[in-house]
Amino acid sequence: MRYSRFFILLLPAAALAAFLFWRFGAAGEESVVRRQFLMGTLVEITVPAAPSGTADAVDRAFAEMRRVEELMRPDGPGSEAAAITAAEGPIEVGSETAEVIALGMKVARLSGGGFDMGLGRLKTLWGIETEHPRVPKPEEILSALEGTGPEDLMTDGNRVLKSDPRLAVDLGAIAKGFAIDRAAEILRNSGVTRAVVNAGGDLCVIGDRGDRPWRIGIQHPRDPGALLATLSLENVSVVTSGDYERFFEAQGQRYHHLFDPRTGYPAGLAQSMTVVAPSAALADALATAAFVLGPEQGLALLKEFSQVEGLLVAADGTIFISEGLREKVEWP
Amino acid sequence: MALKSVLRRMTLLDRAIVMVLGMFAGSLLLGINSRAPGENILVEREGKIIFTAPLKEEREIRLKGIRGEAVLIVREGGAEMIEAPCPRKVCMGMGRIDQDGEIIACVPNGLLVRIEGGNEPEKTYDVLSR
Repeated sequence: MRYSRFFILLLPAAALAAFLFWRFGAAGEESVVRRQFLMGTLVEITVPAAPSGTADAVDRAFAEMRRVEELMRPDGPGSEAAAITAAEGPIEVGSETAEVIALGMKVARLSGGGFDMGLGRLKTLWGIETEHPRVPKPEEILSALEGTGPEDLMTDGNRVLKSDPRLAVDLGAIAKGFAIDRAAEILRNSGVTRAVVNAGGDLCVIGDRGDRPWRIGIQHPRDPGALLATLSLENVSVVTSGDYERFFEAQGQRYHHLFDPRTGYPAGLAQSMTVVAPSAALADALATAAFVLGPEQGLALLKEFSQVEGLLVAADGTIFISEGLREKVEWP
Repeated sequence: MALKSVLRRMTLLDRAIVMVLGMFAGSLLLGINSRAPGENILVEREGKIIFTAPLKEEREIRLKGIRGEAVLIVREGGAEMIEAPCPRKVCMGMGRIDQDGEIIACVPNGLLVRIEGGNEPEKTYDVLSR
């Protein structure tokens, strides 16, 4: 077989060109990775192969999360959650706060009280996130739960009404998810087609990773250095609630921060609950609710919502996974 | 010589293939060696880098955070927070970091310590949910 000299010289030239493209071709599309402390955690936004102007969009996404934090934190002059707590009657709030509360009430109702945004007094009583956490007396817990329950907040448009004037609103189990959603929307509206908004392990992935879905590691609840599973997903939010996140120990017993609103004590049926949902606000609320309800009722709750899946580690270490995740999970 | 004999018997196509294979091997070596050579420690406060230094230079750094002074120690190619003003001292519990991309986050004190440069260990995931 004869080859022309042209073809023979072309072969190494083409190989050289391919190498140069592989090595330097994507130089104008470097990743943008920014981090900020927000909402009591480290928020990281990653945009791989970022087009020009992405850094500005990321800055605006962080500013939006900060705005949501100010709006929904339990205290502070600009907080609508604090204004609801202080109100003795119906109060008009912005459409975003009303939207978050309406979503939270839906989860509260469908979970039979496994989720509650009126636990402000209970959380203050335990003080788990303060310098001096303590185990309250049973009568103190009963008192802090007065007025709480699946119907403790009502919305009518942008008007919010508490069932009990003493109710202290805490949107901590849903507001972070909403802030993630807002940041993701800013990025999408700015033309970003691939990104991760990660707020301390609660996250939203935009698009895919390029030639494959995003690979989302799920932390093992009892081995901080190990993975429980890896999920291959695109365009979803993933939130994990676990009893290992924040806790204290007293008299040889561990008390974590995920309270069962029906008892006022840390929920004891699960070690961790991961929820995959179309929005981070929904995933956030459902992860808390399903953690509280445990394997059977928790996974049944997820079925009430469209495109929602879950992975739960029960208190005894048994792993439960919903049908829709079975083809997307990889075990270590 | 044997090499001359081999070269004499090679066709132009044989030589081109050898050249391509040689370039491929060379590109792999170049790829490995072109990774970021620096291994630095960086400290950020409110999104701004307030301290950076080579990880190989051993030192003790006093860092001013929102809540007070924290102490970071750099030794034997790694870094560790040894004092923190916050009550729960979570950053001290994070232990030692020495790989590219690893971080120590002191959330209440608003400090982020991270390592840059060197060869990042291969991860099996893009992002961690916890």
